[in-house]
Amino acid sequence: MVLVPHLIALALYALAAALALAPFAGLRSAPRALRLGVPLLGIAAHVIGIARVTSFLGVAPTLSMLALFLVALQAASEGLFGASAVGVFTGPLATGLLGLALLIGLAPEGPPPSGRGAWSILHITVSVLGLAMLALAFIAAALYLLQFRELKAKRFGAVFRLFPPLERLDQLNHLSLVLGFPTVTLGVLLGFGVRYAGGASVDAAQVVWGMLTWVVLGWAVGVRVVRHWAGRRAAFASIASFTAVLLVYVALKLAAPGTQRFL
Amino acid sequence: MSITVLGVNHRTAPLDVRERFAHERREVPASLERVLAAGARGGVLLSTCNRTEFYLAEADVAVPEAVWAILSERLGGGRSASEYGYTRRDRDAVRHLYRVSAGLDAMILGESQIQGQVRDAWETSKGQAGPVLHRLFQSALLVGARVRSETGLATGAASAPSAAVAVAARIFTRLAGRSALILGAGDMAELAATCLASEGVRVTLVANRTYERARAIAEQMGARALTLDEAWEHFADADIVLSSTAAPHAVVTWDHVAPAVARRGGRPLCILDLGMPRDVEPAVAQLENVFLYDIDDLQAVAAQAAAERRRDIPAAERIVSEEVERFWAWYGGLVVVPVLKEFRERLDQVRATELERALRRLAHLSPEDRGEIEHFSQTLLNKFLHQPTLALKEAAQAGRGYGLLEALKRLFGLERRDDP
Repeated sequence: MVLVPHLIALALYALAAALALAPFAGLRSAPRALRLGVPLLGIAAHVIGIARVTSFLGVAPTLSMLALFLVALQAASEGLFGASAVGVFTGPLATGLLGLALLIGLAPEGPPPSGRGAWSILHITVSVLGLAMLALAFIAAALYLLQFRELKAKRFGAVFRLFPPLERLDQLNHLSLVLGFPTVTLGVLLGFGVRYAGGASVDAAQVVWGMLTWVVLGWAVGVRVVRHWAGRRAAFASIASFTAVLLVYVALKLAAPGTQRFL
Repeated sequence: MSITVLGVNHRTAPLDVRERFAHERREVPASLERVLAAGARGGVLLSTCNRTEFYLAEADVAVPEAVWAILSERLGGGRSASEYGYTRRDRDAVRHLYRVSAGLDAMILGESQIQGQVRDAWETSKGQAGPVLHRLFQSALLVGARVRSETGLATGAASAPSAAVAVAARIFTRLAGRSALILGAGDMAELAATCLASEGVRVTLVANRTYERARAIAEQMGARALTLDEAWEHFADADIVLSSTAAPHAVVTWDHVAPAVARRGGRPLCILDLGMPRDVEPAVAQLENVFLYDIDDLQAVAAQAAAERRRDIPAAERIVSEEVERFWAWYGGLVVVPVLKEFRERLDQVRATELERALRRLAHLSPEDRGEIEHFSQTLLNKFLHQPTLALKEAAQAGRGYGLLEALKRLFGLERRDDP
């Protein structure tokens, strides 16, 4: 059964999103154990569901996996950084991605496609994990800019009270970016390896645009690590690089539509 | 038995009057001794900058007079302290202390400092408190802790100095280990610096227009003294700047600090301007990664927290009411047992006297018959006593025993042997 664990995960992610959003609606904040426990239960159900999916090539399984990693990173942010506000973005996003994956339709159970075994799964898993980390860096940067604006404007509302301190958001952005970039790079390299080993050709547009995106990502990491950018400038760089990833993906999908392949 | 509180607080007396009533720790035993000499069975004196209250066990008519006399002496000028005071008795006295301990009666709603002050008062007065007040203060501390953990009454920063800490905590991941530069020597800056230091912030530099004044404060805080002109360079490395000078115009200007801020490399700088008029030119806030807050901003943060706290007043009052009933049930049970014992002994004495008189008149009866009559009298007494005993115990458990007990004592002229 693929659907049932995915539906359970969807419900738990939706609940986790509601718990994250509740304080912004003026409700009392849920206990930390609940804020962490609900997404972790969702992750457990989701892992069971994904373990039963046999093909990861389509858009639906990739979106499902992206949702899983986003929630896992959300739980890690909450647990390690006390950044519960990350859930305000990741919660609805993961719920939406998983819901979309279920609407598109996850691959039916069956034997794995020939020639695309463990390496292919590893390529997809690593790439999606890297993508989720870059998404987290984007979210941390967005939270940073929101908190920065509130602090500068001396507005002491929900954002001031409920968002993590600026420095912590900057650290979260830094860490996600620095870990996300090599992960994505590894995922892309594995992808090339899998394709060439399998004799499959790679579309030239994918190579060109993929390289361009990689350079933009590398620039965002470079200015943080080498030029020691921090704060607002670094947040803008992070947002710009992830936006580039999204735009390139949308452009490539428009050029070659379909849900059989993620890219 | 009774519990009474007499005192003054920030609602009933202005600061200059409250200052006169305030007791230092070493003065407490002597004042309590005078109250106990006037007839109280126990006393605790709670004295803070916002209140001076005598909590008393079994305070008869002479005791309040003694309390007002003590306070009137401190007031001087032939004025009576009772003009500024209030009296609460029994349940109301218990409720009053619980509300004080919970921060419901505080000047800053929900402030937690009072909890420590209630504990200090209890510990200072322990030798003179007596068992009832001992239990009362112990429970008051638990009520305070319960209100703080189960409601949002103590959340947020409800005073300007604590708001300064709250604002800095929204910028920096951890305040512990951060360095602070203090400009000026105002009381508010000192208070806010103390609040920051309690969070682990290191006050490393104190700058003032006059170097000597800066040095005096710097020595107190273990910091280095500077003149104002020397301070601008340190905007490059300090994390927090706390300003409260007596200058009539802005002393921290863009021109003074912009070059130093540019060398910070994107690290945030939190400037807390507590001066009135403001010490920091508003344009300084335009510098990248500089976060400037003046006293109005901090008071806005405090007011917001206070508004949040006010939402939790009904929940806190519910807890207080529950705990008052719990204490009163214990208190009722405490006084009911000795009174019941005395009641039973008194009636048994009447029974024995009347039995003896009757048996003297019935000398012809056999020992078996005499025994039967004695048994009858005992059973009859037990039957008569059963219902009142049961009702009194039940009322005591429900916290309503005190009234019934007073009625019983008055109706049967019982001795005052109920005091624990």
